[in-house]
Amino acid sequence: MSSVAFVLLAFMLGAYVLLDGFDLGIATIAPFVGKDEEERGAAMRAIGPFWNGNEVWLIAAGGALFALFPKAYASAFSGFYLPFVVVLWLLMFRGIAMELRGHFATPMWRDFWDFCFSGSSALLVVLFGVALGNLLRGVPLDADGYFTGSFGFLLNPYALLVGLTALAAIAMHGAAFALLRTEGPPADRARKALPALAGATAAGFVATTVYTLAIHGFTAPWVAVFPATAIGALIVVLRAARAGNGGRAFLASSALLASLFGAAAATLYPHLLTAFPGPGGIDISSAAPSPAALASALAVVLVGVVAVCIYGSIVLVPIFRQKVGTKLKP
Amino acid sequence: MDVAVADRLQFAFTIMFHYLFPIATMGLAPFIAWFAWRGSKGDAEAARAAAFWTKIFAVNFAAGVVTGIPMEFQFGTNWAPFSAKTGGVIGQPLAMEGAFAFFLESIFLGILLYGRERVTSRARVIAAFAVWAGAWLSGYFIVATDAWMQHPVGYAATADGRIEMASLWAVLTQPFALWQYAHVMMGAMVAGAFIVGGVGAYYLLARRDETIGRRFVRAGVIAGAVFSTLVIFPTGDRNGSDVASYQPVKLAAMEGLFESTKGAPLAVIGMPDAKKRELLDPIFVPDLLSFLAYGNARANVNGLSAYAVELWPPVELTYYAYHVMVGLGTIFSAVTLLGIVFLRWGARLYRTRWLLWLLLLLMPMPYIANEAGWTVTEVGRQPWIVYGLMRTAAGASPTVSGAETLFTLIGFAGMYFLLGTLFLYLTLRAIGTGPGAAHE
Repeated sequence: MSSVAFVLLAFMLGAYVLLDGFDLGIATIAPFVGKDEEERGAAMRAIGPFWNGNEVWLIAAGGALFALFPKAYASAFSGFYLPFVVVLWLLMFRGIAMELRGHFATPMWRDFWDFCFSGSSALLVVLFGVALGNLLRGVPLDADGYFTGSFGFLLNPYALLVGLTALAAIAMHGAAFALLRTEGPPADRARKALPALAGATAAGFVATTVYTLAIHGFTAPWVAVFPATAIGALIVVLRAARAGNGGRAFLASSALLASLFGAAAATLYPHLLTAFPGPGGIDISSAAPSPAALASALAVVLVGVVAVCIYGSIVLVPIFRQKVGTKLKP
Repeated sequence: MDVAVADRLQFAFTIMFHYLFPIATMGLAPFIAWFAWRGSKGDAEAARAAAFWTKIFAVNFAAGVVTGIPMEFQFGTNWAPFSAKTGGVIGQPLAMEGAFAFFLESIFLGILLYGRERVTSRARVIAAFAVWAGAWLSGYFIVATDAWMQHPVGYAATADGRIEMASLWAVLTQPFALWQYAHVMMGAMVAGAFIVGGVGAYYLLARRDETIGRRFVRAGVIAGAVFSTLVIFPTGDRNGSDVASYQPVKLAAMEGLFESTKGAPLAVIGMPDAKKRELLDPIFVPDLLSFLAYGNARANVNGLSAYAVELWPPVELTYYAYHVMVGLGTIFSAVTLLGIVFLRWGARLYRTRWLLWLLLLLMPMPYIANEAGWTVTEVGRQPWIVYGLMRTAAGASPTVSGAETLFTLIGFAGMYFLLGTLFLYLTLRAIGTGPGAAHE
């Protein structure tokens, strides 16, 4: 049952990665796909209705982690106190910057807030990647499962590699979404950037996989399913980019991102926080409450998430199909 | 600085700032649903009102999400032992808030904001009611979590010292939670009523948007009178009785009662001095406290001296916060009832500028009353983090130092200053643009 809880949690975090991923991604590539503020404005309006709702997935996943694995929730966040608070600040600052850009009519201030928005989003993506990298590689833990290393330990080559791979993958995802939701020059530039970003993602993924195998060895054969789907998704992204098919590019990019995230989750399983140097750490059975309590938590979260997926897709997708132009609609 | 004190300060600051926004979303959502419903019946002015309040709601919602993210994680960052010990219980209502309430609110708010031209007016009404349900459901899960920390039920202690969920149903439906929730929601409705009425008063005083302004004033005054009554009776009264039964030390601190008394008087004003153990310069109503707490004017009410000092909450803060809340509540009742009189008396209210000024200037006061009420609840709970089960000092993260928390607290203060400025600017601009332009 704790494995089901792990999968559910991975699903919620994965949903956050796919959904907030495209708005973080658009923010990351906005300086490149939008050459003037009108074009960047179009890119921003493409994510306007979504980013707030997408971040709800992060809050929900945090709540689910609390309910399903309280011990992991407690030691992970208190152990990485300062880096984690920096992540929270970046998340807030990003929202503030996005909102503020619209309220300063002069180009100079727009440029400034666009820079803040893109910069904080890109940094956030790298930090999320670094965090994931450290989860995979393992961190020094004491007997109670609290982090005992230093700040500098977290910035190791492996974690930085995962951070850069995350940046490439999220930028690719943003470009695919820009191709889907915008038209004119921004969509065109996004289409041209897509193959390079997809290539960088693939390169990062290959390097990370090799490095991971060097650290942990080959764990389970079924994990190989993720590289396989990643290759398939990559081919579709490249073809869809050439054809200019935004819908297909976005779906394939989502599949690629899901494969990457799935590979990470499968590598981590059954741990939630790996100890370095291994073996050990906080795993799903030591972090979960008693079976009865876990069953109750699992049931409520599962029902909620299934319901959200159903009504969310029924309600939102048809309404927001339409593309956004570069001109402001009155 | 002592780490638990720093952690408490940070939690208090971030939660009190965060709560400013849910007060408005929970308080405004029913008004939006009401106006949207009237609007769907062909009342064009109500449709404009719904669109206008949705804009203000959205700014509050966004600020609420942004400031809510640190709340969701602060249990883990700053209160790790507390989370590890009780997460099996409190994690569940918090996860339910995310899974059931947040999505409902954010998805349907998205429709009201960005999809309004693409859906029918009937769908807008449904969306408005869904947003209301999401906002109030969210409040429910939070209050149920807090009520469990005030009066833990439905749990089982494990051999290794953890506290686990035995009955989610018991946690979600205990009377303490229900009455506290009702009281909190009525408090938010008072705030919503004063926001709607205050903005209406502003339009009338500024002689602009006067038709819709009159409508806002009327809605605000009527709802304000209804909800400032309900917030006192029955909800506040019942919430108070629960405190009297389950947390008698808190009650004694709220009332500044140091010695146990049969036929205890109610102190209307006075200054408690915890060192001297007396209430300075009090004005008393005889026997009233005994009557309110136990329904019997001669009942004995235990004073603080009946308990060890180490079990006392911070007496002065609890006392003042409680009296601020009650004092303001009385003013809300009086002013809105006066407003109703002036409304019925040949619609004089719309011309009586001093009363409109009063409505406008009172607009921030329900925020203070709501925050003060929570201060009573949470400060009065000390020294417990879970009443009777776990001390607050035992809940603070061992790996985080007081200096680190102080640093992040100052950082949050800076970030919230920026956010607060932006929030005020956006809200004032939306009010300045007015409901006339909301429909463009």
